[in-house]
Amino acid sequence: MLIESAIITGLGLGAMYGLLALGFHVTYAVSSTVNFSQGSSMMLGAVLGYTFAVTLGWPMWLAAAAALALCAVFGLLVERVLVRPFADRGSNGWLMATIAGGIVLDNVALFTFGKEPRSLPSPLASEAVTVLGVGAYPLQLVIPAVAIAIAAGLSYTMWRTRLGKSVQAVVQNPEAARLMGIDTRRVIAASFALSTVFAGLAGLLIAPLYNVSAGMGTVFGIKAFAAAILGGITSAWGVVLAGMLYGLIEALTTAFLGSTYTHIVAFSTIILVLFVMPDGLFGRAAVSKV
Amino acid sequence: MPRGRSPRRRATGARALSPVAPGAVFLQASGRWPPRVALVLLMLGALALSRSAEGYTSFVLATVAINVAVGVGLNILLGLSGQVSFGHVGFFAIGAYVAGISMQAGLPFWLVFPAAGAVTAAVGAALAIPSLRVAGPYLAMMTIAFAFIVEHGTIEWREVTGGANGLMVFESPVLFGRTLDERDLATVAVLLAGLALALFLRLSRGAWGLAMRAVRDSEIASRSLGLNPLTVKAMSFVLSAVLTGLAGAMFTPLNGFISPGSFPFFQSILFILAVVVGGAGTLLGPVVGACIVVLLPEVLSGMAEYRLLVFGGLLLGVLWLAPRGVTGSLARLALREDPRPARASGRDLATVLGYRETRAEPLTVTGLGRAFGGVRAAEDVAFTAEPGHVTSLIGPNGAGKTTVLNLIGGFYRPDTGTIALGARLSGLPAHRVARAGVSRTYQTTRLFDQLSVLENVLVGARRGRLGLLLAPAATRAEVQVAEDLLDFVGYRGPLARPAGQLAHVDRRLVEIARALASRPRVLLLDEPAAGLSRDDKARLAALVREIAGLGVVVVLVEHDMALVMEISDHVVVLDAGRLLLDGTPQAVRASDAVRRAYLGGTEFAGRPRAAARAGHGEPVLATDGLTAGYGAAPALADAHVRVLPGETVTVLGANGAGKSTFLRAVSGLHRPVDGAVVLDGDDVAARPAHAIVRAGLSLVPEGRQVFPELTALDNILLGAHGRGGQVDRAALDRLLDRFPRLKERLAAKAGVLSGGEQQMLALARGLVAEPKILLLDEPSLGLAPSMIGELYDVLADLRDEGTTILIVDQMANLALTVADRGYVLAGGRVVHDGPCAELRDDPAIERAYLGESG
Repeated sequence: MLIESAIITGLGLGAMYGLLALGFHVTYAVSSTVNFSQGSSMMLGAVLGYTFAVTLGWPMWLAAAAALALCAVFGLLVERVLVRPFADRGSNGWLMATIAGGIVLDNVALFTFGKEPRSLPSPLASEAVTVLGVGAYPLQLVIPAVAIAIAAGLSYTMWRTRLGKSVQAVVQNPEAARLMGIDTRRVIAASFALSTVFAGLAGLLIAPLYNVSAGMGTVFGIKAFAAAILGGITSAWGVVLAGMLYGLIEALTTAFLGSTYTHIVAFSTIILVLFVMPDGLFGRAAVSKV
Repeated sequence: MPRGRSPRRRATGARALSPVAPGAVFLQASGRWPPRVALVLLMLGALALSRSAEGYTSFVLATVAINVAVGVGLNILLGLSGQVSFGHVGFFAIGAYVAGISMQAGLPFWLVFPAAGAVTAAVGAALAIPSLRVAGPYLAMMTIAFAFIVEHGTIEWREVTGGANGLMVFESPVLFGRTLDERDLATVAVLLAGLALALFLRLSRGAWGLAMRAVRDSEIASRSLGLNPLTVKAMSFVLSAVLTGLAGAMFTPLNGFISPGSFPFFQSILFILAVVVGGAGTLLGPVVGACIVVLLPEVLSGMAEYRLLVFGGLLLGVLWLAPRGVTGSLARLALREDPRPARASGRDLATVLGYRETRAEPLTVTGLGRAFGGVRAAEDVAFTAEPGHVTSLIGPNGAGKTTVLNLIGGFYRPDTGTIALGARLSGLPAHRVARAGVSRTYQTTRLFDQLSVLENVLVGARRGRLGLLLAPAATRAEVQVAEDLLDFVGYRGPLARPAGQLAHVDRRLVEIARALASRPRVLLLDEPAAGLSRDDKARLAALVREIAGLGVVVVLVEHDMALVMEISDHVVVLDAGRLLLDGTPQAVRASDAVRRAYLGGTEFAGRPRAAARAGHGEPVLATDGLTAGYGAAPALADAHVRVLPGETVTVLGANGAGKSTFLRAVSGLHRPVDGAVVLDGDDVAARPAHAIVRAGLSLVPEGRQVFPELTALDNILLGAHGRGGQVDRAALDRLLDRFPRLKERLAAKAGVLSGGEQQMLALARGLVAEPKILLLDEPSLGLAPSMIGELYDVLADLRDEGTTILIVDQMANLALTVADRGYVLAGGRVVHDGPCAELRDDPAIERAYLGESG
């Protein structure tokens, strides 16, 4: 009983990490930079979704679409203001800049949205159904399905469509991509928009299960980053699988050892894996040239 | 094949957050005192304040001092060695708990600090070993994970840490019989901060600090000067951890209570924030940062809840407007560069370097081989370079010259063969090879950009032996040697200038001085003359001869054939990774095999046009006064080139003459400094590459540059991206009829195709764009003769069908048979142009490739 329940919880949580980690992956693959305000982007999706759907009473589909659109705008803004000015001059100032951007966004949300955590009602999280003999909200099953669908969709787009192949070109050889007439800057900007949309979607999906609050993104963001590194940030499927794995490790540790050990076990796993496999479980080594 | 000009080069390591080189101003006598004086005054002021302060003021002062100590620790990591740690709150917490536990156990207070230092040193070392093998986001994750493990470890390990309830320290600490009150604790904290600052000052000026900054700026160059980057980074990590742990140990008696909640992960971010805002790499940066982080909330107590918003905004503001932080930016405004140039002692070079007639041993290379992904970059290369001689390695592009240098230098491990200098070198890592006496320069200079010129040379002088932790960077005598070397190579600029601000020529000179400073037995020079003016080359030639005259083994890779012929005792010619010839300059110049390798033999003649054709109409492509690259000798200067509709034009010249730069400038990959590029009537010089491509120019780049993970077909289809991406079936079939080899391999990933197939693929990808003009950069490079013939047949067909083509090829004879007209580049300038029929028999061509004869 315990184990089935832990697996369902772990996969639901892990799929969330995977979705956020996918956001880390897309920007890193295209531009070797990471948006450390991913957690805040997730919070943004949840807070905007709540505001539109509950406070303003919009229909859920409209609220979600509007929240995701604004998340995309936030991603473009992050790239333009927090990443590009530093990446252009070869500095890694984007690292601290995106962290600072996340702090600012969290606090702006704190003062506008308020300090009270609120819960977003959802028909998918009101009545538990029985799966494998344990009770679970349908949403807990929907989240992994959505994460896998998105990973599959991304994979399909990247390898089967013209658009995706032009992005592949930028990943594999940015200079040759420019010679194909591809505007690499636009591709990089788009990758940031995509990454924040993934994060916003993750926020909308877990909002009914957890409370919506201005600070909800921080810990999720860090764990998702852990998942991205565990999987090997260069691999799309790798980070999604690592997200699920991370969720399972957490849920199983909590179930069998108690919640205080959750972080110790999960983060120790990261250090051990990196010690043995410095590029993560599915990542590829960066080639350094003399 | 590993080449310096690879466009795929990506920064993999984390670079510093724009810190300032603190040592530049410290190394001169005039700059020696101000930081010390400032530090002493600051400490006196803080101590006076700690004695006069009371109650809450004492507490705030002590808190600032603790944050200064942490900041200094983090500054060693962030500012000196350029690594980021998000885990420092972990070390802080460990220090605090060690203090709390030992105080509860009744340990004397003075023992608390050594205990905290020892524990954090051990933990820091244990974390450094796995962490420093990884870089960038992976390193960040390691340190984040560490912080969380410590936080939750302190919650869970209840018997020792008191779990979530924390530890209370009721007794006031007693030091030498005196019970310390709040005021005394503030004094101790200030003393701790002062010691940390003094340590930083000494360290940053010393040999280890210099090594840390060198590793930060270029790991590769550090390795070739005998530094092991892992050791240097680990030392900075451990030092950083210890200082943070000591600060943590001070936190406990000051607060009287610690719990896991005292050390949230977010505190790590605040630690970094303080250093970055204050000024990473500067002495006083952490002081300013600590004051801001601790005092700002006190000042803004009315708006306490906006604290983080203010910090976030402050950090962003500093990153945008003053990336060097408060002190770094102020220092830049206040400090003027010391203009003092190198003062020579007047001793000769042999005396300066202390060379005596010792065991001069030759460098022997036997059976050397190395493959990269199936491409044999070097195969069975063997030669002996004698001491006192200049041995030149020459060969056309892609011959494997730089690969051989990298094998000798220990950067690549040979698949086969041995390298020996008395003892065997092959198999040793680069820093061990360097310590054995092999020193080098790079094709694209690799100076430590944030170090001063003098410091660059002083790093070389150490040969990796750093001595004790606080040993000075250099003795007066060593500084004099460095100045003599700089004078000797002809560097006349200020010693204090950061290397990143040097002109191209000076970069080369300083790099040679740095290599000499390690008193090498073998000096490897990789294209030292590239970009130098005629006069500078002449001086370089004399310098290289003189160095060899000291009994050094000099190995030179150089494209300027006149220079090679002038100064070499012995020339080794490589072609496609294999030894072609090994002999005197005269023998090489007389060799038909060498001429064929350079100019292309007659065995694969391209097919000339059936009937001569005069171009007419407005040019499809015209450059006017096109100049690219900076300095006294830009890579390309004032080029006027025209290509008329339907014409095939070739641009010739030796390696380094500016051919590739010309194509890169025309296609927008390299922004030209001056001049116009007119494509079909529009000046496109200022446009980005993708826009120029969309305007109808298609470049088949050097080295193919296919997308390795995409199929051949996808590669071809991407060629049409710039014109909307539509390729109809019939057009594709017509295209593929030209390339029967590709037709069979459309579904294969481009990365697994042979070199010849990849070249065909790159050409097909260029053609599918239906360009107004097709540019080809070194299409025959590294291909088997049969493939070259096939490729040039395709080009001849295209030409006969009326395609406008501009081709750059090492194989001048081949290009001249296919093209209508040609331009000859030398030293970045067009020195000759005319119909190919005339150029073919012109001795100027051979001179341009093989150097002046006779």
